[in-house]
Amino acid sequence: MSDPHPLPGLPGDADLSSAFAENVVRVSRRRLFGSAGMGIGGVALASMLGRETGAAGPVIAGLPDLPHHPPKAKRVVMLWQGGGPSHVDLFDPKPVMRDHVGKDIPESVRGTTRLSTMSSGYAKWPTQPAIKPFKRYGNSGIELSEMLPNVGGIADEICVVRSMNTEAVNHAPGVTLFMTGAQVPGRPSMGAWLTYGLGCDTDELPAFVVMTSSDKGKTCGQLFFDYYWGSGFLPSRFQGVRFRNTGDPVPYLANPPGVSRAARRALLDDVAAMNAAHLADYGDPEIDTRISQYEMAFRMQTSVPDLTDFSSEPKRVLDRYGPDVHVKGSFAANCLIARRLLERGTRFVQLMHAGWDQHNNLFTQLEEQCRDTEGPSAALVLDLKERGLLDDTLVAWGGEFGRTPFGQGDPTNPKGRDHFGRAYSWWLAGGGVRGGHVHGSTDDFAWNITADPVHVHDMQATMLHLLGIDHARLLFRYQGRQFRLTDVHGHVVKGILA
Amino acid sequence: MPLEPHTVPRFSGGRFPLSAGRAILAVALVVVAGGADDTPVRGADTPIDFNRDIRPILSENCFYCHGQDGNKRQADLRLDDRDAALAARAIVPGDPGASSLLERVHSTDADVVMPPPSSNRKLSEEQKTLLEKWIASGAEYRKHWAFEAPVRPESPAVNHGGWVRNGIDVFVLAGLEGAGMRPSPEADRTTLIRRLSADLVGLPPTPEEVDAFVADPAADAYEKLVDRLLASPHYGERMALPWLDAARYADSNGFQQDGDTWQWMWRDWVVKALNDDMPFDRFSIEQLAGDLLPDATVEQKIASGFNRNHLLNGEGGAIAEEQRFNNLFDRVDTTSTTWLGLTLACCQCHDHKYDPLTQVDYYRFLDAFNRLSENGTPQYFSSRIRVAPPLIELPTEENNARIADFEKQIAAADTEAAPIIEAGFAGWRKGLLASGVPGDAAGLPGGLLDQLKKPEGERTAEERQAIDADLRKHFDEKVRNDLVGKAAPVERAATLRRQLGEYRADQIPRVMVMSDDRPRETKLLDRGDYLTPTGDPLTFAPPGVLPPLPEGEATNRLGLARWLFRPDHPLTARVQVNRMWQHFFGAGLVKTVEDLGVQGEYPLHLPLLDWLALEFRDRGWSQKQIHRLIVTSATYRQSSRVGPDALAQDPENRRFGRASRFRMPSAVLRDVALASSGLLDRRQGGRPVYPYQPDQIWEALAITKERDFTYPQSQGSDLYRRSLYTFWRRTVSPANMFDAANRQTCRVRASTTCTPLHALTTLNDPTWVEGARVLAAASMKAAPDVDGRLSHAFRHVVCRVPTDFDLVALRRMHGRQRELYAADPAAAKAFLAVGASPQDAALDPVDHAALSAVCLAILNLDEALCRE
Repeated sequence: MSDPHPLPGLPGDADLSSAFAENVVRVSRRRLFGSAGMGIGGVALASMLGRETGAAGPVIAGLPDLPHHPPKAKRVVMLWQGGGPSHVDLFDPKPVMRDHVGKDIPESVRGTTRLSTMSSGYAKWPTQPAIKPFKRYGNSGIELSEMLPNVGGIADEICVVRSMNTEAVNHAPGVTLFMTGAQVPGRPSMGAWLTYGLGCDTDELPAFVVMTSSDKGKTCGQLFFDYYWGSGFLPSRFQGVRFRNTGDPVPYLANPPGVSRAARRALLDDVAAMNAAHLADYGDPEIDTRISQYEMAFRMQTSVPDLTDFSSEPKRVLDRYGPDVHVKGSFAANCLIARRLLERGTRFVQLMHAGWDQHNNLFTQLEEQCRDTEGPSAALVLDLKERGLLDDTLVAWGGEFGRTPFGQGDPTNPKGRDHFGRAYSWWLAGGGVRGGHVHGSTDDFAWNITADPVHVHDMQATMLHLLGIDHARLLFRYQGRQFRLTDVHGHVVKGILA
Repeated sequence: MPLEPHTVPRFSGGRFPLSAGRAILAVALVVVAGGADDTPVRGADTPIDFNRDIRPILSENCFYCHGQDGNKRQADLRLDDRDAALAARAIVPGDPGASSLLERVHSTDADVVMPPPSSNRKLSEEQKTLLEKWIASGAEYRKHWAFEAPVRPESPAVNHGGWVRNGIDVFVLAGLEGAGMRPSPEADRTTLIRRLSADLVGLPPTPEEVDAFVADPAADAYEKLVDRLLASPHYGERMALPWLDAARYADSNGFQQDGDTWQWMWRDWVVKALNDDMPFDRFSIEQLAGDLLPDATVEQKIASGFNRNHLLNGEGGAIAEEQRFNNLFDRVDTTSTTWLGLTLACCQCHDHKYDPLTQVDYYRFLDAFNRLSENGTPQYFSSRIRVAPPLIELPTEENNARIADFEKQIAAADTEAAPIIEAGFAGWRKGLLASGVPGDAAGLPGGLLDQLKKPEGERTAEERQAIDADLRKHFDEKVRNDLVGKAAPVERAATLRRQLGEYRADQIPRVMVMSDDRPRETKLLDRGDYLTPTGDPLTFAPPGVLPPLPEGEATNRLGLARWLFRPDHPLTARVQVNRMWQHFFGAGLVKTVEDLGVQGEYPLHLPLLDWLALEFRDRGWSQKQIHRLIVTSATYRQSSRVGPDALAQDPENRRFGRASRFRMPSAVLRDVALASSGLLDRRQGGRPVYPYQPDQIWEALAITKERDFTYPQSQGSDLYRRSLYTFWRRTVSPANMFDAANRQTCRVRASTTCTPLHALTTLNDPTWVEGARVLAAASMKAAPDVDGRLSHAFRHVVCRVPTDFDLVALRRMHGRQRELYAADPAAAKAFLAVGASPQDAALDPVDHAALSAVCLAILNLDEALCRE
């Protein structure tokens, strides 16, 4: 762009005056000293002098001592199923329960399990078997509900964990425990830990993205709070960026009305020139951080909207995700955006779908939930596989707890199930995961774990392990102690690993 | 020296923060370890100080297994206790060779070496040498510095005493001189007034105020300015911001229904108390125990709301007792962090690993808060309001007027309805008794039926009266409602009554306060689990390592609050002055402001911290006086410019050889944008307001139909109130308050990171765009020429007169923007249409849009975002 208004000593936009650039180099070099070759100023410098690339390692560096061991997965997509999907109906077949329909689940099975106050006072515990039959899928013959035909179609890719457990009895504490390692809000979320530790492979998109969706009828949805993707006591730049379903995916992404991209570009160039002059005057390295962050903001203004533009996707791919892929804010559309984020270098994508909290509409709502989510979930796995990304992408599917093996409501005619954290199911796929495998088991009533329990902290430890992180060594000092995602617990579950 | 690469606050911006942090620390390590000759903290012959040099090594590397937590102790060895360490011959004073600690530390055998490889900890050669020297010189232990009462330090000797303005400067200068450094020159007056305004009132000075200060020939011009700002009603608003972060203040509960609360009345109390310079002892006692003061006033009860500002979980199925304990844990955590600077929370499940704090200490402390009639969950008042008792109802004048109006209307409707009701009653009574004594089918209560069985003639006057009254009562309660829907006046009266009830539930302020209205037995909880209370009941007492309650002091919250202010308390004053220092210098004298325990940073300037703490106490706990003391110091008045050498020598400015330079908090940035443009509405206090916010921030929460999450955007000047008054939904912070404390748990450490999302906010949020437009309009009216307009706008934001370079740059910016808008006048109009404030039709849209763009750029200059 020819510049009709040249600055004295500032020849143009493409490069800043040598005086300023020199100062930037001086300040940045100082801060590069002693590091592995990258410092705060690294990218700012690169972006000002014409970006240097090609070095191995992430575009935005993480901790120098990470990964602790060679990672199997480099990125994660968490397909969060909020509300608590029923393990009894979907993942954990219990033929014995059919013989007990309506009869109390024996006290020897129930024991002193802590339940929510919606059911803890019950006098009757009517056994409620799965509402639909199970089927064997794939070469591995994993048994899943017939409501999950597409997940069944990838049965040989997934590891079903039937022995998940949590202390939480309610949604928010349960979700908070899974995401942050503690039931009470305030600690960093898993995505924040990972981007803090591992950095990111893009400087044009956020490292950690969250997208939400819910069941169409909003019949039993749950709220998604920002502490589910918060940075806790980690610096706030590690918090997840929630994409919205209407308007700009990121708040304030679009220029104000009447500001063209060219006008903004010109403005930012002039701001950068003044900031560089100020840097020369004040010498504060934070000024060149600011310059680089404004540049990244400008790049995000095109790279983020590109994500939601599916026009370049072949019809075959779109069809795989189902018709909802064209509905903004649907789980299907979010799955496709997730794939596009992952292939562009985002480290952690957290899809959060609400609608599994079937207290009184299990018989109608559960199947609808499956229809909305299981196809796109499987499509995402297949799509990643087709692109060669599944080998080093970890896909995790599950919620904060399962649901009671007894029916909720009128004991003679139950309509749903209550929250149940003593045993429930998840599935994983992708980098380092043992596909076509079932880990853990429960008793005849899907109530007690009989083998290989996987606590929430164990699942976290395992996910971190797959990403090359020893969960006990990814630490942050706060309030005088070293905190970690898994609190003081957690063991890597070897049986899940390929 | 505790080296914490992950907690370098000021250098944590940018994309490569951690490697950069490491790089900086690599420099710091060299400096601190004495490798650089010019700045030895501890020269080769400086005597070893246990607290500064040795305890951090032991604490970080040894105490986890060999500390005071008996449950985790390995090999029955403790190193936190000198007698125990000596008895085990881990340490033999004066004989390093005989000390098994050193043998283990030096070992190259992985099975023998301490700390063990599995701990991920390793001692440096420097640290090993320190331990050896310490043992050789007698291995003296000292109590952790923060647990001993501060003593007034001697004034250190300095060479360049002429620089010193007050007591602070002596300590700072001595430190600088010891390190071979010199203070920076004083900042220019324009920078100083902008800095003071940002720090004390959070609003920019007007150009007129700047000019007046720059031109003031008085010797005490600076002090006069400070006093003016300290007396401003906006001082309390600015100072309330960090206090609200500590108090995890929000306008809603958090969790599923996220009911709104009335705690803003507590917020207003805080602002007023700060403006009145309420002494910090009273300020604290009223917030911790205002309800327990003799003849407590309404204000004192409201103040006690400090400990009711926590999250409240009202989810269906929530176990109330579990939630009640979460509230208790939060109060212990918040109170101990805010006043004691201790991480008492660590002792919820076990004895503290590092500090001499025990699990019993924790539950004794908790007992002070365990006496409320709360049940753990909030109560439904309306679909919007959920608050939990104990609370006080505080109808406003408007409430009273509305209620009086309702009552008047109800009375009128009742008057009109009365004959209809009387007729209805007479008819019902007649019908009921027409066929003699009514049977059970009439639905009357049994007692009344029995009375009616007595023949009418035999009833006494009293009995007749009683029967009439009971019949009437039954009619009013059970029968009269049948008339609703049949007779308009009756219907109207019923509707009005319902509306009045809804109004009372939704609109009468109910502030949650503390009250010891339900004492309970407190026991230690095994592993912190509310289901497993164990041992004997515990009564409130301070942690054993701290001074005890004075003789005869109440063993309740009031006793706790007063105990904090015993003159020999080692923590209260230090913790506060340390946070004040953070406010004015970006980081505390102890950088870990939330933790002054043994794992906290050892203060390089401990004598200064102690001196300030004692000044605070001895000046009657006046916060304004300490603020004044700090900002009138030569240390504070330095320039924040830094050269490469100083940056390398003291990258984090821990020696204060320059003023700090940092981005202002987002809440202040918004206020500055509003004030610079003249949009700011300076009204103080009252209900929170709802300024611009992008769609779908709140609405996206509305996955349930349980309540309406539509964002009720304010109208008119409420859009331009200070950020302090923005409604804070606890589940989703205001969209443009980036980098703010999350208001979910207590936060006392300031955070200033830098991300692209922050840039997008200040570039594109309508608040800034509209502010730029209004500032541009004012600038166009203020000056006829472009240079004059650019200078006007520039001065209103960054205060100083633009340099020639600035003007050239601004002119170029303006020229380019003007060219673009001249080619697209529709874009100019669209740009000018942002924001609710009226546009000035008299201004040329192309000129106005171009200048608005420049104003937006000015608001986004690093210089504008930072306080320098």
